[in-house]
Amino acid sequence: MTIAQKGRWLVIVGLVLLGGVYVRALAFTPVERFQGPAQKIFYVHVPAAVTTELAVILMGLAGAFFLFLKDLRLDRFAEASAEVGTVFAAIVLTTGPIWGKPIWGTWWTWDARLTLTLLLFFLLVGYQVLRGAVTDSGLRARYSAVLGICAVVLVVFNHLSVYLFPTLHPQPIVIKPGKPDLPPAMLLTLLLSFGVFLVLYVGFVMQRYDIARRRGEAVHG
Amino acid sequence: MGDTVPQNAGYLMAAYILVPTILIAYAVSLYRRSRNP
Repeated sequence: MTIAQKGRWLVIVGLVLLGGVYVRALAFTPVERFQGPAQKIFYVHVPAAVTTELAVILMGLAGAFFLFLKDLRLDRFAEASAEVGTVFAAIVLTTGPIWGKPIWGTWWTWDARLTLTLLLFFLLVGYQVLRGAVTDSGLRARYSAVLGICAVVLVVFNHLSVYLFPTLHPQPIVIKPGKPDLPPAMLLTLLLSFGVFLVLYVGFVMQRYDIARRRGEAVHG
Repeated sequence: MGDTVPQNAGYLMAAYILVPTILIAYAVSLYRRSRNP
């Protein structure tokens, strides 16, 4: 079985498990009293956001290691992680406003967290545009690595932005110092969903990595 | 007790349909590209 086939199976398993998360979220997780059913968007929005952050951090790390080791496999992984991160960022940027409308009364507000997340999405798109624009593989990998490291700085700044600026967006309730501020039933659903998003991330990256590898072989012979 | 839980399940359904739609669209995109990289 090739890496792409393994990745495809992982994605299929992940999608089936996502159905399981939906069942658990809808039928076995309590409705939040003040926000109503819309609060359950939390169980896809937050795992997608954390997976986006993870994808960008791994992309940046792979880029940083590439600058020292010059191993093209690291560059291919960074390329794959960036594209998958863009998809998860798109989920964050679409589910966020759908949740925000009934709770905040607006689809969008230009506060720090939302604006920086949009900026991160554009940076990830720019990363792929950059890769498409540079034909020399060595230069492309080097430029991409530098942009990838910048993206990691943006992720850290974005994560801390809710502490640094006045914002409508709630502060982290799980990834923060101290215990998570969630009832156990909600926390379990969130963690299960995060696990499913992680499986999907790995499955997508394996497939995308294989595409990058085959493209590289086609160019270099 | 005047507290009532907001009735906003439509937004939840919209988000819960959108997420697998994006994921499946991307999975199909990867499958098509893997056949012709």
